[in-house]
Amino acid sequence: MSKALVILEGVRTGYFSETVLRDVDLQICPDDFIGVIGPNGGGKTTLIKVILGLQPVFSGKVRFPGGRPKTGYLPQVSQIDKNFPITVKELVNSGLKSKNPWFPHLSFRQLTRVKEMLDEAGLKALSSKPIGELSGGQLQKALLCRALIDRPELLILDEPNTHVDKQFEQELFGWLKELNKEMAILLVSHDIGTISPMIKTIACVNGTLHYHPSNQLSEEVLKVYNCPVDVIAHGPIPHRVLKTHGHE
Amino acid sequence: MSDLFSIFEYQFFQNALAAAILTSVLAAMVGTYIVSRKIVFIGGGITHASFGGIGLAFYMGINPLVGAAIFGILTAVGIEWISEKGKIREDSAIAILWSLGMAMGIIFVFMTPGYTPNLMSFLFGDILSVGALELYLLLAFCLLMIIVFAVFFRPILYTAFDPEFARTKGIPVAGFRYLMSVIMALAIVISIRTIGIILVLSIFTIPQITAMTFTRNFARIMPLAAIWGITGSVAGLLAAYLLDIPPGAAIIFFLTIQFLVIKMIMIIKTHLQRQQ
Ligand SMILES: Nc1ncnc2c1ncn2[C@@H]1O[C@H](COP(=O)(O)OP(=O)(O)O)[C@@H](O)[C@H]1O
Ligand SMILES: [Mg+2]
Repeated sequence: MSKALVILEGVRTGYFSETVLRDVDLQICPDDFIGVIGPNGGGKTTLIKVILGLQPVFSGKVRFPGGRPKTGYLPQVSQIDKNFPITVKELVNSGLKSKNPWFPHLSFRQLTRVKEMLDEAGLKALSSKPIGELSGGQLQKALLCRALIDRPELLILDEPNTHVDKQFEQELFGWLKELNKEMAILLVSHDIGTISPMIKTIACVNGTLHYHPSNQLSEEVLKVYNCPVDVIAHGPIPHRVLKTHGHE
Repeated sequence: MSDLFSIFEYQFFQNALAAAILTSVLAAMVGTYIVSRKIVFIGGGITHASFGGIGLAFYMGINPLVGAAIFGILTAVGIEWISEKGKIREDSAIAILWSLGMAMGIIFVFMTPGYTPNLMSFLFGDILSVGALELYLLLAFCLLMIIVFAVFFRPILYTAFDPEFARTKGIPVAGFRYLMSVIMALAIVISIRTIGIILVLSIFTIPQITAMTFTRNFARIMPLAAIWGITGSVAGLLAAYLLDIPPGAAIIFFLTIQFLVIKMIMIIKTHLQRQQ
């Protein structure tokens, strides 16, 4: 068992005096692939921000046993201003860290890596285009490149499968499976149905966090963890979403 | 036509021309940041709040630009602080500071004994009376901004675009936000002398949106906005001389006409391309 990258212990957090998450315990290890599900407003994005150090905690501890890991963050698409005049290339550049904070320019090698990554992702032709001209899938791809360009140890994705077609979703999940060989992944999704075969563990977030050390969410397991899930069927594949928890 | 060229021989016109060009370059850089972040309203708040500082400076008998700078910086930093804390609605806070600044300005000017300063020159600018000292100040600030934007281009762009992501990459986001607040305030206050409180925001926005009809690349908007700012303001200045109209207003008029004509040409162009 490898050393944990991030450990959350009894974390309580929220906005102003309002608590959004309480009693959160979570460990993220280097080879993890955690799927985070939960209803809208359940606190999934807030959980991510705690892990990234963007959200202060009211109580409890956030620990990084081996120092703060290098993270790659793909925010919820609603957090991105698509009208901002930034090109795809510049977007991906922003995922890199400059060596010198007082003269924050990128090295030739770093810029070459961006070029190679854009080629690999099939975004070469779009690299000088503003992000406003991208389709939903292309934007997610560019955001994924930004998250990956600095070779993170922990990749955190907040609903990367919104506003994308099913084909892109499948492609994305294929890449994530490959990437998981090199880094820990925490993937937030409001619906976990199509991805469940690839993820290793599931966490249900709704005011607090219920951890399931398996990718199977059977009715029995859910009952044991006090985490009721509804099976709903829209689209070709019936899948499971988290129902409101009784104990809130 | 010889009439038009003879004006260039006058010192006051040379100064005005230099002020128009330098203000355009300064506003191009800072305005691109303002327009990209969609915080024109904050710019309006800073501009109008600084009028309170002008009034207070008159009352105390100090340089009005110093008063304006202090009020402008306090407002800009205050708005940034409020939006970071998020406890008060940012737009309400701006509206309060906006009108409070104007009210304070009027009250202090009113209370200033014996002397009624030329309010019009602060409201609408007085580019024809810009002196050498003010020109040097403008030039120095302009050069400083070119250096700041060149060296810190990446963190400025990234914190403006996605501050949370920038923080995950170790960029001191709060520091850059406050730095940019101070820069916005100083740039606006320095430009008030040339173009006036009522009109200053347009030179920080119209050339930028004109540039954005050509490119959606932050780095390219800045020089292009400088060019459109210079052409519009120089044309406005010449028109003001030829038609004997107020230069500040003429400059804004030309910036707007320029924008509308370019926008129209671009619309027709894309329309024709679509038909082919
Ligand atoms: N910046 C914020 N200020 C105040 N409340 C917030 C903020 N962000 C989120 N919240 C609240 O916190 C709760 C959880 O939000 P979030 O973590 O975004 O949920 P999810 O990502 O699961 O949809 C919601 O009730 C939301 O209204
Ligand atoms: Mg969310």
